[in-house]
Amino acid sequence: SYKNGQWRTPGEVIGREVDFVAGKGTYSWHHKVVASVVGLQHIIPPSPDAADQRPTVEVRRQEEQGAVPEPGVVVTAKIRKVQPRMAVADVLCVGTRAVRENFRGIVRQQDVRSTEIDKVDMHTSFRSGDIIRAEVLSLGDARAYYLSTAKNELGVVSATSDAGVAMVPINWQEMQCPVTLQKEFRKVAKVC
Amino acid sequence: MDVESSVPGAGSPFVNRIMAPGDVVLDLTKASNVLRLGSGLRQDGDNIAMTKVGRLQFKKPNKYWVEGSQKRYIPNTEDVVLGIVVDRRFEMFVVDIGGPTYASLPMLAFEGATRRNTPNLQVGAALYARVVKAHRDIDPELCCTDASGKAAGFGPLNGGYVLECSTGLARVLLSKPTSPVLEALGKSLSFEIAVGMNGRVWVNAATTATTILVSNAILNSEFLTAAQQHIMVQKLLQKSQ
Repeated sequence: SYKNGQWRTPGEVIGREVDFVAGKGTYSWHHKVVASVVGLQHIIPPSPDAADQRPTVEVRRQEEQGAVPEPGVVVTAKIRKVQPRMAVADVLCVGTRAVRENFRGIVRQQDVRSTEIDKVDMHTSFRSGDIIRAEVLSLGDARAYYLSTAKNELGVVSATSDAGVAMVPINWQEMQCPVTLQKEFRKVAKVC
Repeated sequence: MDVESSVPGAGSPFVNRIMAPGDVVLDLTKASNVLRLGSGLRQDGDNIAMTKVGRLQFKKPNKYWVEGSQKRYIPNTEDVVLGIVVDRRFEMFVVDIGGPTYASLPMLAFEGATRRNTPNLQVGAALYARVVKAHRDIDPELCCTDASGKAAGFGPLNGGYVLECSTGLARVLLSKPTSPVLEALGKSLSFEIAVGMNGRVWVNAATTATTILVSNAILNSEFLTAAQQHIMVQKLLQKSQ
């Protein structure tokens, strides 16, 4: 049962931890290597000069897994709701890959910018419908990831004005509608 | 049809006239200066159009807005409103002001409030506040002090009775000179009222009978002329004696 090409299902014990290194698609539990996804098992022999001579076992999915936000990764998100102390957003892309399912993110008041974080007014930083670039801080709670826009290159990249026209950034705090010439406040990303 | 503007300095010929949503009141290509639009108006390309039914108002040099009367209140900044506390959250009260969403009132937005000394408002308490932040995308935010931090009449309202009316009647009750019904009532009775632009009036008097009389007089007065309001108040006072 150690052949390559063997189908494995989540929870299925593949072998002992003394015999194998748990690779992608597996995890080690009670000194055994257990599959965590549905896929084909692959055994990768160790390199000859490695200290640990155990082969690595991987379980590879048939389909490519959709993008999932990870801490430290820059994501593109759309603001859904702005509340007094946080903004709720839906993650659209992780890096350059679009996501396949819905991920919620929260930008808290203290994570909007790096200076004067207790004086942040959420309403002058984001509005519903804005597209933002944000960094994933952590996996957050059961409901949403925690996002941060506290760097120069993070923040609002695309927004529409009250008149419904795409706005042009003026500086890191303001964007202007080209039709009505009205300025609106946003935390603008410095896109070079 | 009167196309000439009767208000000097107004760019629009429709000032002081009642208009409907969609009516174009001003063509921006003919306006020479920067305009300030209040509630009820929207820029639509090169035109300024109405978004609600009401009378177009103008204040020199460049401010336009619409005054209409609805039952539903749409929050605007700097309106004074009468709210009722519905919930207490972390560092803020949730207040019902009769708008599309509940408003939030920070616990520190009272005169002399500190982290240790916050106002003790219970669910169901009535309060007088002003709208600090209002936008179609967010829940409105209130404040129980004026701009300098003093109470200035804002804050909790104890006792009394809250009645609901249209936003148009509330605006008339708040206008100067004093509206005829309040003037007539004030000559014979002693009471206090607080009027919110959200169509709510708080009435407080020494006896229940006076409170009821004042409330009924206010509600009756909406569509009466000044003389009719005086007569109506006299009749109510006679009946109560």
